[in-house]
Amino acid sequence: MSAVATPTREKARAAGISLKRLPRGQWGTVLLLAALVVADFAVQPNLADVDQIGLLLQTAMPAVLLAAAQTLAVLSRGVDLSVGSVMVTTNVLVATKLGGIDGSHMGLIVPIVAVGAAAGLINGALIAYGGLEPFVATLASWAIFNGVALLILPTDGGAVPTTITNLVIGKVGPIPSSYVGVAIVLAFWWYLRRSPLGVRILAVGSDESRAFLNGIDVRRTKLLVYALSGLIAGLAGIYLAGATSSGTPAAGDGFLLPSLAAVVIGGTSLAGGRGGIGLSVMGVMVLTFITDLVTNLQLPSWVAVVANAAMLLLVVSLRSLPNVLSRKETP
Amino acid sequence: MTGSGIQPRPAAVPADPPPFGAGEADGLRVTGLGKSYGQVTVLEGVDLHARPGEIHALLGENGAGKSTLMKVLSGVIHADGGRIALDGRELTLGSPDAARAHRIRTVFQELSLVPDLGVAENLLIERLPRQRFVGTIGRRRLVREANALLESAGLDGVDPRTRVAELSLAVRQQLELVKALRVDPSVLILDEATSALGPSESDWVLAHARAQASRGAVVIMISHRIAEVRGHADRLTILRSGHSVATGAPNAFDDDALIEQMLGRRVERLYPARAPARERVVLRAKGLHVPGSFGPQDLELREGEILGIGGLEGQGQRALMTALAGAIPFHGELELNGESVSYRTPRQAIRNGIVLVPEDRGAEGLLLSHSIRSNIALSSVEKLRSRMRSIDAGAEREATEREARAVGLDVRRMGEPARNLSGGNQQKVVLARALLTEPRVLLLYDCTRGIDVGSKADIMAALAQLTASGVAIVYYSSDAAELVHLCDRVLVVRSRRIAGVLDCARATGEEDILHLAVGTRGDEEEEAA
Amino acid sequence: MTLRLPRRLSATAAAYVVCAALFAFATIHSSSFASAGHVRQLLVFASFIGFAGLGETLVILGGGLDLSVPWLMALGGMQLSIWASGGMPSGLAILLLVGIGALIGIVNGLGVTLLRIPPIIMTIGTGALVEGYLMKVGLNSSSAVTAPKAAQTLVENHVAGIPVVALVWLGAAIVTWWVLKRTVFGRSLYATGANEAVARLAGTRVIAVRVTTYAASGAAAVFAGILLAGYIGQAYLSMGAPYLFSSIAAVAIGGASVLGGSGSYWGTVAGAGTLTILAALLPTFNLSDAALNIVYGLVILLAVGASRFARRGSA
Repeated sequence: MSAVATPTREKARAAGISLKRLPRGQWGTVLLLAALVVADFAVQPNLADVDQIGLLLQTAMPAVLLAAAQTLAVLSRGVDLSVGSVMVTTNVLVATKLGGIDGSHMGLIVPIVAVGAAAGLINGALIAYGGLEPFVATLASWAIFNGVALLILPTDGGAVPTTITNLVIGKVGPIPSSYVGVAIVLAFWWYLRRSPLGVRILAVGSDESRAFLNGIDVRRTKLLVYALSGLIAGLAGIYLAGATSSGTPAAGDGFLLPSLAAVVIGGTSLAGGRGGIGLSVMGVMVLTFITDLVTNLQLPSWVAVVANAAMLLLVVSLRSLPNVLSRKETP
Repeated sequence: MTGSGIQPRPAAVPADPPPFGAGEADGLRVTGLGKSYGQVTVLEGVDLHARPGEIHALLGENGAGKSTLMKVLSGVIHADGGRIALDGRELTLGSPDAARAHRIRTVFQELSLVPDLGVAENLLIERLPRQRFVGTIGRRRLVREANALLESAGLDGVDPRTRVAELSLAVRQQLELVKALRVDPSVLILDEATSALGPSESDWVLAHARAQASRGAVVIMISHRIAEVRGHADRLTILRSGHSVATGAPNAFDDDALIEQMLGRRVERLYPARAPARERVVLRAKGLHVPGSFGPQDLELREGEILGIGGLEGQGQRALMTALAGAIPFHGELELNGESVSYRTPRQAIRNGIVLVPEDRGAEGLLLSHSIRSNIALSSVEKLRSRMRSIDAGAEREATEREARAVGLDVRRMGEPARNLSGGNQQKVVLARALLTEPRVLLLYDCTRGIDVGSKADIMAALAQLTASGVAIVYYSSDAAELVHLCDRVLVVRSRRIAGVLDCARATGEEDILHLAVGTRGDEEEEAA
Repeated sequence: MTLRLPRRLSATAAAYVVCAALFAFATIHSSSFASAGHVRQLLVFASFIGFAGLGETLVILGGGLDLSVPWLMALGGMQLSIWASGGMPSGLAILLLVGIGALIGIVNGLGVTLLRIPPIIMTIGTGALVEGYLMKVGLNSSSAVTAPKAAQTLVENHVAGIPVVALVWLGAAIVTWWVLKRTVFGRSLYATGANEAVARLAGTRVIAVRVTTYAASGAAAVFAGILLAGYIGQAYLSMGAPYLFSSIAAVAIGGASVLGGSGSYWGTVAGAGTLTILAALLPTFNLSDAALNIVYGLVILLAVGASRFARRGSA
């Protein structure tokens, strides 16, 4: 009798919770990434090689990890401005406390990983139990951990155990380990998304008060989100140490804004509840290939900076444009 | 009239209800419940006894304490004093989990479905089925169980993989009930559970409520629809100003007695007498067209007229209203008082004298953190400037208090943040804001949904005043009875077009609106003379 | 017993309490801290953060964020030097530059409102474009350019013992206060920051308001850069870098909500003062830059905690 607005099964599938299909809007990003890869290969044909791409992935890996960390915070409707600082904290610890190139104190790697998680726990406690805005709490910890890193190692230097370096730049069988790294990150997200914690994170990000009504411990979930974010950011610092064979206490700030840019380009909503690490990894790849393409064109450095910025703005505009045009709203 | 919910299959009432647990089946007994926020007492000495097997209605104005009482029973907030007992056992409801542990389930008015999660995840959010070794959620089992729940409730039309945010309000309200029924609750609380639903979906909800009651559960329903209460409740309790003032069977009270108990005073007529609309056409639309949503259609609005917009929910009424308000782009010609106008933003519409009171007062209508005064002034700040181009605080105070009084708000509270007010009072603030713009045409979108009788009366009185001074009103409501009693004419919208225009002076009834809404009895293209 | 202030005031008051407490502590530790000459210096330093933070305050009140501030500051300093050394009258050059800053801000605003690009990304992007431009012009002269006389005089002159810059800053603060509190723009800004959808439906010119905030931020950042260049005597690419964090931190310490809709510029002024006092205080303890970072972070936590505590006890 009545006109029923039931969604068809097809529409439901496209928007549904299955990861088998990307939501429609994200196909644009995939195409864009493909276009960038093709352009990059065209400019530098040597790139189309397993080892070369592996090197690219290796350079991108810290950014991948930071984007993953940032994604978790954003999914819970927050933000983590301290990801870069936590990264350099574990980074300088690796370069100074593990006993030099021989790695005589390799056992300390475990507490170092824990430092990342602890930093995240502090953020989480301030936000979940202290009631601070994520922006403000992580703004403060951004400064604090930067300071801590500088205290431990005032300038670039230190020595990174070869064990770690080999892990990062080495191979797993025939392929560079960076592929495995990316795969691990994606597998981690696949698992998290399907776990009860994953559902809780999305619920909290989507609508905190309703999540609470449903019996979700909102505060504990947020605490865990930031703890995980800190843990992953800490891992990024260890990886970076392996990749550069030294400690770089000032490198954090340069990674923060790209982590946010990657999340936005990937399509995760800054309002929380929608998106995922898989998308952010794609975002990092888009940024990486833009940078690589511009570098390979061997333009003067100022042109490179402008080209990078222009492409970033272009990409983000393209991503918003379909929404803007179809928006049935007057300005 | 709403109803873009799912057409459900009727609920089956079990033939022989199994006995409901051993022990005294006393039901839910609340004694002397109290709750205060600082100086403000919201509940005091509240008694309620809802017996097992009965549907117990809870009536009262917004601000009477019904939602607070429900939140206490659902474990969302803690009472300061009093006792709650279920079947003789005293309960401590310290959290939503504690309430759930006692099989108390609430169908919340604001709904508890998380928008970005899927239907299945929402329905089973308390108990997500896990894989054995890996600990992840079994997707297939999740969908299967959700399908089973939906089928047994009679809602096979919903795909459990859909994201809840994409479903209409009506469907979400239906799902909210399915979620509550999943655990066969011993106490089922329905808080305005039918507010967005049309007749058949409402009947479905109440049939399920009756079925649950027959299984020995306690069912408490809050509703402002007195007809619904009379039709389905076995007993009722009335709250007023935080106290329980009356209880008994519905037929022990006539309508006037009910309203009198709720308000503590008599209300003569909900819909005050109004002079008939004038002849002059104030707004004329030709070819009004929102691509994909409404039209092209023509319509006319007269001075002093209340033009109702009816029809089932989702037929294009929202597009019509928001287009007239300038909030969405549209094609077609508009004439205001004989002059052609064209506007593309709400701001321009307001400058032309057309203003909208939106559907969702919390999300679209009010700045909840700002004071009542600055909310009322929001659309008119430019008018309140002194010669120095700054805002004249004195003029602002005077103007906002004037409008506040016109809608029945307590001017002593003007400095408080808008979020402190009850739903009915919040609606009045939005209305006052619209009135301050001195409109020629006022667009009201379901402005009395879910608000209490007292606020409704105040708003109706204000509208009558307005039309007497020549303001024309376009009034969309999901309540057909309201349209029939309030409006001069009713445009019934169906499938993006105007199915017919009814003249309320000529003994129109709700069934006339319904027929046009669903297309039985043929199209009556009665253009207004 | 406790003073019951309205919400907004108590957050700002808390910021001033923190600032005053720090100043008192610094004076106890080192008596010359409160000397006239030193206070003058502090005022000048604080004004740099103050101007950068002025624009940032407006943008944040409207619900946005401006991360292009450091590059616009560098643009102010470097471009002024280039034009001045090329013969352009300083007054004209300054006016022109502030106008360019406003234009860049308008671009930011349009990107954020019309294209719906998140402010973080939009302003990083335009900032990087400005950076690229500066790298190019930096190639043609020495990497650090000397600041023109006009900028230097602005910073060095005093009136009745108070640096001109501080007076200009005070004037700007009063104008900002008046605009926010008493004009339609101010009302519209608070409404937009509180809930953009509601404001729009109520007839607020949301787009115009937000674009204006970004324009003001661009202009203020350029002006801050000119002042800074005048003070240091030079302009170079990374001169604005520390001010990104400082401008946002000043707003946060001042008690404004970083989500928008509440706060005042006076709070940012207190925030600027606090950060400046800290930066001057810590070297006297022989603490490094690293320690300064840590202290900044702790002070943000302290200040925000204090303002939340103050708000809890008020209307």
